[in-house]
Amino acid sequence: MSVDWDVPRKPYPAKVLTLATGEKMVVREASREEVPQLLQAIRPLLDAPSEFYDLVAARTFAELLGWYRYRVRNEYCLVGVVDGKLVGLVNNRMFNKDLCISLHTIAIRRGRSIGAHLFAAKQEHAIEYLGAEEIFVTAESPRGFDRWMIEWSLEPRPDVQHELGGAKAWVLTRENYYKNKHRQVFGDRPVTEDLYKQSLHFEVIEPDILRGESD
Amino acid sequence: MGVKCKSCGRVFYPKRSTCLGCRSQDVEEVELGDRCRLVTYTELYAIPIGVHKIPLVLGIVEFDNGARATGQIEADHVKIGMQLKPVWGPLRTIGRMEVFGFKFTQP
Amino acid sequence: MPRKVAVIGCGMSKFGRRDDKDLMGLLVEASTASLADANVGRKDIDAIYVSSMLSGELSHQTATASALADELSLLPAAADRIENGPASGGSAVKNAYAAVASGLYDTVLVTGGEKMRHVAGATVTDLLATMTHPTAEYMQGATLPSLAAMFTRLYMQRYGVEPRHLALIAIKNHKNALKNPYAHIHREITLEGIYSKPEAELNNPVVSDPLRLYYCCPITDGAASIVITSAENARKFSDAPVMIAGIGQATDTLAVHHREDPTVLKAVQISSQRAFDMAKSKPKDIDVAELHDAFEILEIAESEDAGFFEKGTAHKAVEKGMTALDGDLPINPSGGLKARGHPVGATGVAQIVELTWQLRGDAGERQVSGAEQGYSCNFGGFGNNVLSFVLKRGD
Repeated sequence: MSVDWDVPRKPYPAKVLTLATGEKMVVREASREEVPQLLQAIRPLLDAPSEFYDLVAARTFAELLGWYRYRVRNEYCLVGVVDGKLVGLVNNRMFNKDLCISLHTIAIRRGRSIGAHLFAAKQEHAIEYLGAEEIFVTAESPRGFDRWMIEWSLEPRPDVQHELGGAKAWVLTRENYYKNKHRQVFGDRPVTEDLYKQSLHFEVIEPDILRGESD
Repeated sequence: MGVKCKSCGRVFYPKRSTCLGCRSQDVEEVELGDRCRLVTYTELYAIPIGVHKIPLVLGIVEFDNGARATGQIEADHVKIGMQLKPVWGPLRTIGRMEVFGFKFTQP
Repeated sequence: MPRKVAVIGCGMSKFGRRDDKDLMGLLVEASTASLADANVGRKDIDAIYVSSMLSGELSHQTATASALADELSLLPAAADRIENGPASGGSAVKNAYAAVASGLYDTVLVTGGEKMRHVAGATVTDLLATMTHPTAEYMQGATLPSLAAMFTRLYMQRYGVEPRHLALIAIKNHKNALKNPYAHIHREITLEGIYSKPEAELNNPVVSDPLRLYYCCPITDGAASIVITSAENARKFSDAPVMIAGIGQATDTLAVHHREDPTVLKAVQISSQRAFDMAKSKPKDIDVAELHDAFEILEIAESEDAGFFEKGTAHKAVEKGMTALDGDLPINPSGGLKARGHPVGATGVAQIVELTWQLRGDAGERQVSGAEQGYSCNFGGFGNNVLSFVLKRGD
């Protein structure tokens, strides 16, 4: 069995956020053991071409399965859970101790800025806990990405190809992370014991994009 | 350049053929000058197609003679009441056409 | 002597993102419902008025009224398409009223609809921006949200309105819409989530400062429809027809900056006054109101300029819950534009539909008890063309 962490692993302390609806979302790190359920949650999205959900799902599926089967190094996954249901997940990978590669963001429940909160949480994890100096970011879908570019002051890095298909890489530097943190990164810690427990054995739900956009 | 109503004295921008105050058609062109102050403003993040800076700061300004205009504001620390002056420049594209007009900056 | 006019039927489509139907499909859905509700035969419809602002631009169809007359087999009825921006619905109702009141037609169908969700939001925003002043506003890059935002900022400075008041109105309207099966948005929102907690910054992002996402109405597909006839005729169809007792319309300067006091919606003041005069009513006689909250600040401003509250005080009434469903003057029991949704050409008609249901006692869980008189305000452009209506329960 090969080691999947050669960059020392640093856990993400769970936090809780209030969504526009008043729902409380727990954001916590997923363990390797939870990957089979995450794959189950993502699998239906392989048939959703709208907004590149299918490609994002296919790539994320491979990344998580690769982690599970010890064929991907230094990968992390954070999940968002509301009322015991999995509403979103994000993943990334430490390339080395200074560089993090941001991989994917999937919002299973939409219309509540879940993707935005989880994207921010993953950058928070990389900079503040994993100690990255820089994060490479790209996106399959322009929706959301154009906003991220501006909101996070992403800098283009034309000489580098992102590992996702050789797409243009944009960089979130440690400096820009802290500059934008107050407008992007939110949540309260610690999470109460009850809420945390409820988030542990999450239920897999049907993604909103497959039910026709809810609004 | 705006228009002034010869009957009631109200001044309007942009130019028009009748007076919104007294309905008179007796209007003449006038210079608005280059001093105005900011009445209200906004920072627009949902920028329209053809505008390339984000946010786009828009405001309503008022000149000493009472004329008002709506336009892009280019200034640091935008505040209601601040002094501004009109400058000519590119505003946006409409289709493929570059559109020029007055915007407002610090004097 | 003009005849009195009554609403004998009403109906609407479900509002929302309707990928299942095209514009004609939505117009048919609403019209079929109102014709059935009126219990009139298709051959009895003398004329139809169809309101749709962007049917040409977004659905490649300009002869929308002719097409609906054909699709519903109402031929050879007269048919007109009415366009007046977001006040298209109100204008259509007004024109239909005038036709019946004058005796030109007896029984008229009015249907308003819009299909807007199938194109990019930026495209819709741009098309809506064409109702602004072309050289004074549009050329500068102004959009409706930016004009509303400048209005909001001035209003806040002058009268002490705060973002929290806008949030409270949005929350109220979302709550009301949960009881409206036709509404676009069926989702509760909380003050914590959209305003008080720090994460509201991301949950409720700025669209045009100080307006945020939840202080602006959504883009919606949908249609609404009414059938009107003379009051005398109405007794054949209904024991308690709803009377269109008062109508008023007024225009104001096209460019917002030309208004002497940009925080005063003169067109709302004048059109309301005209509607109340015609109905021989006063604001205090109104039991329920449907206002045009394309931006939540407008619910405040319109309620003042229509005469329900002193200028600069409506936000205090909101705080006290006076405009909630169980308050002294329920505003937007349907959910308003914010949560019922805003298919541009449909809204003016949808407001009349809601008032009709309310005055008949058919509004289900959102019924305002004992409602006898209702008021609606359909706001075109950014307040440069407004229609007001007063409806009364017939006896």
